[in-house]
Amino acid sequence: MAGHDSGTQHTFTGIQRYFNSYTITGRRNCVLATYASITMIILYFKLRPKKQTPALTEK
Amino acid sequence: MNLTIFDQFLSPQILGLPLMTLAIILPSMMWPSQNNRWLNNRLSTLQSWFINMITKQLMMPINKSGHQWSTILMSLIILLLTVNLLGLLPYTFTPTTQLSMNMALAIPLWLATVLTGLRNQTTKSLGHLLPEGTPAPLIPTLIIIETISLLIRPLALGVRLTANLTAGHLLIQLISTTIIILLPTAPMLSMLTSIILLLLTLLELAVALIQAYVFVLLLSLYLQENV
Repeated sequence: MAGHDSGTQHTFTGIQRYFNSYTITGRRNCVLATYASITMIILYFKLRPKKQTPALTEK
Repeated sequence: MNLTIFDQFLSPQILGLPLMTLAIILPSMMWPSQNNRWLNNRLSTLQSWFINMITKQLMMPINKSGHQWSTILMSLIILLLTVNLLGLLPYTFTPTTQLSMNMALAIPLWLATVLTGLRNQTTKSLGHLLPEGTPAPLIPTLIIIETISLLIRPLALGVRLTANLTAGHLLIQLISTTIIILLPTAPMLSMLTSIILLLLTLLELAVALIQAYVFVLLLSLYLQENV
């Protein structure tokens, strides 16, 4: 499954130079960015401080 | 003692001692051992020819650096072929009907191919998780989908082998039980069912060979991607 890299035909500028779906490095960076985003979302939900509900007092 | 249809899949034991190790090792020991003679007898020559043929077929599409996997893949295919074929004999135990054994074969070998790819060609391995030319909005979704399909490979490998062999053995047992039960009451129907049993046995013979080959072929394909 060795796909040819057709990145030489495209000229990318700006952020597309690092994140695109044509060059092998662009694809790798997209994959890493997706994994990092998912990890950050999971860590955010795990580590955020939990809301403390005030204790109910019986009258 | 009344046997249920699943008793044929119980792990073999004698007086409480497990025989699983013997069940896995003994089939491979039935192959004649290799020797260094220039001209062997017919059986050894046939065996060498067979192993060389399959090795060439499997290893041809793989790079030279992947050829170090040839020993383990050939050992695996010989084990699976032998174990699957011997399991078709009556009253024998087939180790490959046990999901635990098939997962124990599939997971380490699959993981080894993935780690080999990540170690030797990290960029290419990670890059293959995103198909070339994907439109930008679909990129994260497709990466997640490709990751899931990667992680599901060992499960599919193990379950495919287990399910095929277990289903085949169960069908053989059910149909043969039907034949025995129908014999006194409806002998013609019993004879027709025995023809079905013959065809099923031939099918199971093919399935035993094909499933062993498919297991090793898929592993070689995963290796090809990562080497």
